[in-house]
Amino acid sequence: MKRFSVPLLLAVLVVLPFLAKPYALHVAIVVLFSVTYTAALYAVLRMGYLSLGHAGFIALGAYACVILSVRLGVSPWLGIPAGGLVAGLAAWGLGALTLRLRGIYFSLAVFAFGEIVTAFFRAFDWFGGPAGIPGVPRPSFFGTPLASHFAFYWLVLAVAVLGIGLLYRLQFTRFGATLLTLKSADSEKLAESVGIPAARYKTAAFVVSCAVTGCMGAVHAQYLLFVSPQVFTFLTSTDLLIYAMVGGLASFWGPILGAGVLTALGEQLFSVGYWKTLVYAAILMIVILVLPGGLIDLPRRLRARARAAIAAPEVR
Amino acid sequence: MTLALLGQGLAIGLVNGALYILTALGLTLIYGILHIVNFAHGEIYMLGAMLIYVLFVALQWPLPLAFAAIILLAVAAGLAVERGIFRGLRGQWMQLLVASVGISLIIQSLSWIAFGAQEKNVPSVLPGVLIIGGVRMPLERLAAAGVALVLVTGLYWLVYRTRIGLAMRAIEEDEETARMLGVNSDRVAAIAVALGFVLAALGGAFVAPIYSLNPGMGLEAILMSFIIIIIGGLGSITGTVLAGLLIGMLQSIGALILGAEAAHVLVFAAMIAVLVLRPQGLLGRA
Repeated sequence: MKRFSVPLLLAVLVVLPFLAKPYALHVAIVVLFSVTYTAALYAVLRMGYLSLGHAGFIALGAYACVILSVRLGVSPWLGIPAGGLVAGLAAWGLGALTLRLRGIYFSLAVFAFGEIVTAFFRAFDWFGGPAGIPGVPRPSFFGTPLASHFAFYWLVLAVAVLGIGLLYRLQFTRFGATLLTLKSADSEKLAESVGIPAARYKTAAFVVSCAVTGCMGAVHAQYLLFVSPQVFTFLTSTDLLIYAMVGGLASFWGPILGAGVLTALGEQLFSVGYWKTLVYAAILMIVILVLPGGLIDLPRRLRARARAAIAAPEVR
Repeated sequence: MTLALLGQGLAIGLVNGALYILTALGLTLIYGILHIVNFAHGEIYMLGAMLIYVLFVALQWPLPLAFAAIILLAVAAGLAVERGIFRGLRGQWMQLLVASVGISLIIQSLSWIAFGAQEKNVPSVLPGVLIIGGVRMPLERLAAAGVALVLVTGLYWLVYRTRIGLAMRAIEEDEETARMLGVNSDRVAAIAVALGFVLAALGGAFVAPIYSLNPGMGLEAILMSFIIIIIGGLGSITGTVLAGLLIGMLQSIGALILGAEAAHVLVFAAMIAVLVLRPQGLLGRA
């Protein structure tokens, strides 16, 4: 069963646009955005670092793409890798500085980075100022612009599958396995003592995570047709964190599950605003305090409980 | 830029710096004991300001009574959060940090629902402007900064001259040994969190007449506080004080020359410079 779940999921994603109404397709696109961002965030969480400003990298990717295509007239296709490149470069600089310090420095610095990115774009009119930049062009496929939800869905799906596939593959390389040894301070020391350049490994992982985030951010801006400092904020960063924690950090699929379920629900139940944040945050607190493994851990917990009940029948 | 303008910038920077220090010190205090940065700090700051509006402006309580109520509420909230949430997660810094983010989001979204997005203004308590050699300084800001300085001095006294401060420093140094020698670290943590909450709430209360208030103001405050504690060195009280003054002046002079939004970028650049040159912060331990 487990072996077929990924091909099955892909098959559903391919068949979906032929059956779904535009609104359902919109929900699917939004889910794919947050699933990709959350999978990228997980690549950082997995090595024991908490990014509280991933939205800053989404914004960088989005703005890089928008400025290239709107201000400089570059093809929107090029904007997508350019978004990844800019976000990856920023991650390289920030990661090289902060990933050799304790985790908390990284979290604070990335949070500050996320806030400053939007402050920066707000400060300069050439970058759109507070109002942002409208009229973002979408790429065209053999002369047909990807104007409809149906057409654009394929672009989003392609970038999502490529990005998540890359992140997934990376976990099972030697590189990905080494990253796990850097999770605690003690094993990190051990890894360094056998010649693993810990800070460089962590920076590389952070760069990959942010490059994927930046590429998707570029596609996101093309989907929205505009970008502004209010789109990718601190609340976006915390949403991603909530998806990952609620899904559970024990497996690659936990954050993806969390992002899928919560985004799909959030998109349907709350039009916009504070109620969504409130409900998400309440779910987060419940998971942290009561179900530390997240949703992905739920079946194992139930099974363990059932087994315990069989092994130790009630004593009268 | 004229000399008077520079003097004006420096004066505003000093006063803002004193207010930043007040807010950032609460974070430093909690970090010393729990080794987490309390993300909900900015929301407590916001609630402090909002409560001044609700109690002093809307309900017309006398100011001292409003302040007393805010301090009591902050203590209660700090004790409740420490006992109910932080204590069970001690030693797991990631869960602690995420939990404090969760608390922050809950408080913030509830405040948007309760207070609405409309900016609230608290009328001036101390109108009047002090003019010294061409530098104009509203009395209110000056008074707020003065009280902030008194509180900071009081905190120094508490941490370096009292038994509870000794216990705090012992836990910061080596929690296990401190516990072995009979320090009740749960109680010290509760006191530190409560004290941190009081400092945040007072920081907000003091700026209530100076800024327009909305439920999003905590985020701005915490951004500044984070940059200050990174520059000063996590857990260092003197470092926080130094960095607070530095950032206050850098921001006010930057805002005079480049504009308010661009000054943010300048402050961030200062943080990056410190991370490059002295990653543990000005006075932090590696």
